[in-house]
Amino acid sequence: MSTRINKLPLATLLQLSWRNLWRHSRRTLITLFSIAAGFALAVFSIGLQDGGHNSMIRNAINMGEGHITIQPSAYLASPANYIFIKNGAGLLADIKKLKLKASFAPRISLRVLASTASNAVGVALEGLDPVNDRRRETLGPKITRGAWLEAGDSRGLLIGTGMARKLKAKVGNKIVIMSGKQDGNTEAQLGRVRGIFKSGVTELDSFLVISDLSFTRKFLVSEGADDVRRPVTRIAVFVDETDDIGFIKKTLTSVIHSDDIVVLDWQEMLPQLVQYIVIDDAFSYVMLVLILIVILFGIVNTVLMSVLERTREFGLLRALGLSKNYLLLLVFFESLLLSLMALVVGWLLGGSIHAYFAHTGIDFSEWLEEGTQIAGTVMDPVIIPELSLDRILQLSGVVFFVTLASGIYPAIKAARITPVQALRT
Amino acid sequence: MALLELKNVSKIYQQGDIKVRALNNLSLTVEQGEFAALVGPSGSGKTTLLNIIGGLDTPSHGTVHLNGDDLTQMDENSLSHYRLMQLGFVFQAYNLVPVLSALENVELVMVLQGRLPAERRKRAMHFLEMVGLQDMINRRPSALSGGQQQRVAVARALAAGPRLVLADEPTANLDSDNATALLDIMHRLSHEEKTTFLFSTHDVRVMARAERIITLRDGSIESDKTVQIQE
Repeated sequence: MSTRINKLPLATLLQLSWRNLWRHSRRTLITLFSIAAGFALAVFSIGLQDGGHNSMIRNAINMGEGHITIQPSAYLASPANYIFIKNGAGLLADIKKLKLKASFAPRISLRVLASTASNAVGVALEGLDPVNDRRRETLGPKITRGAWLEAGDSRGLLIGTGMARKLKAKVGNKIVIMSGKQDGNTEAQLGRVRGIFKSGVTELDSFLVISDLSFTRKFLVSEGADDVRRPVTRIAVFVDETDDIGFIKKTLTSVIHSDDIVVLDWQEMLPQLVQYIVIDDAFSYVMLVLILIVILFGIVNTVLMSVLERTREFGLLRALGLSKNYLLLLVFFESLLLSLMALVVGWLLGGSIHAYFAHTGIDFSEWLEEGTQIAGTVMDPVIIPELSLDRILQLSGVVFFVTLASGIYPAIKAARITPVQALRT
Repeated sequence: MALLELKNVSKIYQQGDIKVRALNNLSLTVEQGEFAALVGPSGSGKTTLLNIIGGLDTPSHGTVHLNGDDLTQMDENSLSHYRLMQLGFVFQAYNLVPVLSALENVELVMVLQGRLPAERRKRAMHFLEMVGLQDMINRRPSALSGGQQQRVAVARALAAGPRLVLADEPTANLDSDNATALLDIMHRLSHEEKTTFLFSTHDVRVMARAERIITLRDGSIESDKTVQIQE
């Protein structure tokens, strides 16, 4: 005889718990599907929310300054036109040598005044490489009139629809760009509208003017920059794999030996977007907590009812010699099995719904305009739900442990049953 | 040494302000191999006495020794172990675990005893055969009659190899034929397995099969007679 006395082997515990669960199969199924449905709802809604957030982040990164931005350290606090990286060519050459899995877009961003015969407005002028810059992919298709800039077009300008309205400018019209210099004088350059875009983001459509780097650099030269060294105000870095952002940022930081230049990731560049996502996530966590409460009471109800019904049976098991702890485990295993089944069914249900909509996307264009602007970026009208591995583990873990915890009270209640009282019932 | 020895056992229940004396300074010895009945009217203390002997309840005063071990000195775990290794139980009703088959029910106590699967299966089959249920081993309790369920309970009690089987009104819910059949089985197994049986009853059919009749009244032994069974 072995020393495993008064104990039930794991296999027997599982077998007994499994059979006990199906003693009232209809009740178990109703509970199981209630939990699974709640869980599936959580999976789908969080996937949808993450999809929306990721769409906003992607748009913010692609239409903005990339996953990582290299810029003068003073620029973020005070983006003055005389603050720039003097040796843009050297810096670009250095970071390209690193062979990182990323593309680099040198840009010059200035605060200037744009004027036509009709009006004058303050604008953000951005000089870029019209052939290789990521904006060609993101804003190029949004050109509603005219065309994207040709390579070497040193006078061409692209403006948004809002800006075109304000300046009453059309494709082919002239716009004078003026910039106040540090010495108090003004630098003015004449540009010509080549195209008009509609991105859906007010900040871009009403305030952004795009030109070739050579056009914008004239303003830096007027501030004393050396044109030969290709000065820039920033280098936007677009990584191939978003998982590499941390590594690439760290690598770039380690090779740039200048206190005047900083390497910032998109979270540092877009704090308002990060804040929006944090708040939005907080609301979804509240919803998740409500779902978990429903799940918790569902299991407590089922298992507790089943415990109370079996008081005499538990008394019998205790009388026969089953220890209190193993009786507790027996009931606890019922919750464990219910949790696991609910998790599997929930994932099958929620995962299927998620997979379907991740394939087709959910079109909100009936309710939203083409680009709904939130926190300085735009959410696509067709949202594709996304679930990361972290989210899958997080959701599974939370639901699993909550359902497991819900079995504790009924299990303790069962273990407290005394045989003599139970057998009297 | 007697198998079971109770000395001056009293059990007092507190019901509100009233003290109820269920057992009153009761002393009793039971020898190995006896087939004894506890009889008496309802409330005479039969079930309380069986519960105390079974380690399911504790006496307010007195000592209970089984095979030399004092139950009154045991903690909860020791009592649980004592029940598992030394005793077999047959209750009035709902004796079996509903989700287990007859065979699994008989094996359950042996699982708790830590016996190996092959030994468990062999003993369970043997005792189910002895109670005449070899063809119903895979049936769950719901598919067995009341008499068959009690026979499974007897098989379970004996398969664990106890020194003493306690049966609390085992025939109370059975019709005459089933009650007689169950008693015949218990009596036969008591002799074949040399196991001591102590059962409570107020069923005259059971009393007629007992070799010793202990009559309780108001928590005390009113009479204790050994009878000669005519086979």
